[in-house]
Amino acid sequence: MTASATQSQPVNMLTAIRQAIDEEMERNPEMVCIGEDIGLLGGAFGATEGLQDEYGSMRVLDAPISEAGIVGAAIGLAMRGRPVMVEMQFIDFISCGFDQIVNNAATMFYRTGGKVNLPMVIRGPSGGYGGGGPYHSQQNEAWFLHSPGLKVVCPSTPSDAYGLMKAAIRDPNPVIFYEVKELYRKREIEEIIPEGHTVPLGKASVRREGSDCTIITYGNPVYFCLEAAERLASENVQAEVIDLRSLLPLDEEAVIGSIKKTNRVLVVNEASRTCGFAGELIARVCETAFEHLDAPPMRVTREDTPVPWVKPLELSVLPTTDKIYDAALRLVRY
Amino acid sequence: MKTERSATASHAEKESGEPHQTRPRDLLQNADLLELLDQLYLARYFDVRLIKEKRRGRLRGTLYSSHNQEAILVGTLFGLRPDDWISPVHRDMPAFFLKDIRAGWDNPSRMGMSIGEVCAQVWGKATAPGRARDNWSHIGDSSKGIICSTSMLAGTIPVAAGIAYDFKLRNQDSVVLTYNGEGSTAQGVFHEAINFAAIHKLPVITIVENNQWAYGTPVELECPTKDVADRAKGYDIPGLIADGQDVLDVYDNTMWAVERARAGKGPSIIECKTFRAYGHGDHDDDRAAKYRPEDEVGEGRRRDPLAVFKQELVKRGVLSQDDASKYSPEFKNAAETTDEDFPARVVEYMKQGVEFAISSPLPDASEGTMWVFAEENR
Ligand SMILES: Cc1ncc(C[n+]2csc(CCOP(=O)(O)OP(=O)(O)O)c2C)c(N)n1
Ligand SMILES: [Mg+2]
Repeated sequence: MTASATQSQPVNMLTAIRQAIDEEMERNPEMVCIGEDIGLLGGAFGATEGLQDEYGSMRVLDAPISEAGIVGAAIGLAMRGRPVMVEMQFIDFISCGFDQIVNNAATMFYRTGGKVNLPMVIRGPSGGYGGGGPYHSQQNEAWFLHSPGLKVVCPSTPSDAYGLMKAAIRDPNPVIFYEVKELYRKREIEEIIPEGHTVPLGKASVRREGSDCTIITYGNPVYFCLEAAERLASENVQAEVIDLRSLLPLDEEAVIGSIKKTNRVLVVNEASRTCGFAGELIARVCETAFEHLDAPPMRVTREDTPVPWVKPLELSVLPTTDKIYDAALRLVRY
Repeated sequence: MKTERSATASHAEKESGEPHQTRPRDLLQNADLLELLDQLYLARYFDVRLIKEKRRGRLRGTLYSSHNQEAILVGTLFGLRPDDWISPVHRDMPAFFLKDIRAGWDNPSRMGMSIGEVCAQVWGKATAPGRARDNWSHIGDSSKGIICSTSMLAGTIPVAAGIAYDFKLRNQDSVVLTYNGEGSTAQGVFHEAINFAAIHKLPVITIVENNQWAYGTPVELECPTKDVADRAKGYDIPGLIADGQDVLDVYDNTMWAVERARAGKGPSIIECKTFRAYGHGDHDDDRAAKYRPEDEVGEGRRRDPLAVFKQELVKRGVLSQDDASKYSPEFKNAAETTDEDFPARVVEYMKQGVEFAISSPLPDASEGTMWVFAEENR
């Protein structure tokens, strides 16, 4: 393993992720990493930097540009009991491996009557706000949340990314791991990661406590929600901000518990609106906590458009601090 | 039917520097040859019996008959080792029990499914390998080296490549055989998987059962090259052509590719030229009669693999003419055959499977929501 920096000085999210993969590769000699440009180059963003030197080109495999072939091969390796980390160069390209993920990997355990499980993680850089345009800005988790048999996570801090990565690699099921690329190198969120840190899948984190409304979010919008909450505080509105971290399994207890306290809920995510995760979450809240609501649940999501390229267009369709602030005010004043 | 080896097939000879002196078939004993014949009867009988059961309305799901394509299954599986893996698809139902059947038809520890398990699958019973969660050919068993395929054609080839990559990592000289129709070779993932396997010289052998039709589409509209095997040229791997009606030719080609793969020289494609006996599935028989010319069907079925092999055995003096005609399901449609057309051993074996299936329980409805996720720390 390369010298660990994570425990002595603050690290960014990318380093945390790289470190977690590195440690898991060392811990389990059966583990294999496969993806485009992950070996020689060390990954388009550097998430696997140095791993091929450490573990060899057989275990850190540069694959041809064949997302379906890569995921299929990972399924075969996982069937043989090996944990596999698959890198999608951008999570947008996961669509090219879609069949292998939703029809093959997701259903394997079910189809074999509980006999064949697949310990694999498919991870890749996701999300907008960076001018990536329609094919380098997606947050397409809804496709996979809608395919039973897959777990889906999306951390927003270096230590959560580190801890969830370790848990995801050790999980016996296929996990789709969204890494918000705008957070990869964000200075302000660098942090020291305690030794042996892991984060279980399915546990939310309360990022700010409050009593007037609950804002549920994950990924990059966590920071816009925290900013909005700051501004709301100056209006004497105390917003509770919950970072889900893991979408499936979902920490319903944390969500419902908070709503019982605040009686108002706003869901914020950067995926498009129709049939998105925000809608699902609100449906669940209505089913299980309707009597606790003092206002209709609201959501701030991306508009139902692709993510446009240039900044004014991009921000016009994505959630922003202003949009969240406005929605939260509407919610508490309802 | 064309039976000549393709340009890429002579690749085999070029590589070894000389034409094959001893063919794998030459090493087979008379007892092996008679076992091969019984396996052909068994594959045919299994199919015939299911066609009849289907017509009586006892079974759910679609039957994609392997009638007339048995030599491909028997010939490719006969020389495999117990530790090899396979991934059969819709037209390959007999492959599930033919795998490692040489270790003894009733041997409970052989590395293939029992006839009971396969019948339980067809009848949709809880004793089926996947507890009847998906139909017919979509079963697998990792403990026996059988990949559980999805419905998506060619979708299992990359999985086979992954398993082969695992063999490479372990320095294990096992191989994986994947089965596909010729139509399925038009899928993008076919290319992705074989490309990957060829780059890393993985022991994956793709058996292409070219029965000339993909549902209602003829091979010329699926593949631009003269032979499907020519697709191999793009990956610099051997593209062999076998006579799919001749179990020994299929066996020879398979063993050549298998030995090559075991030696670390990488994948091969083996195109087995054959012919589809009926419609695409049992739901398509009437329509197939309209889109497929009658004389083409007649011509295709003229070389019944059972007849071809028996003729060879008689020629070699392994089988007397009398014994050869003792059982004769060849050239007959399923409905025209009776149990008397098959050796008692075969009829008995199938009976055992069907009885097991019929007496097995259906899965309990409560299982419907089980096994979506594996528990932690499994
Ligand atoms: C990806 C995909 N597309 C379509 C189908 C529907 N389908 C099932 S079998 C078949 C024809 C297959 O032809 P071929 O590969 O030649 O195999 P054969 O049935 O002739 O053995 C089709 C189109 C499918 N199963 N998967
Ligand atoms: Mg075909």
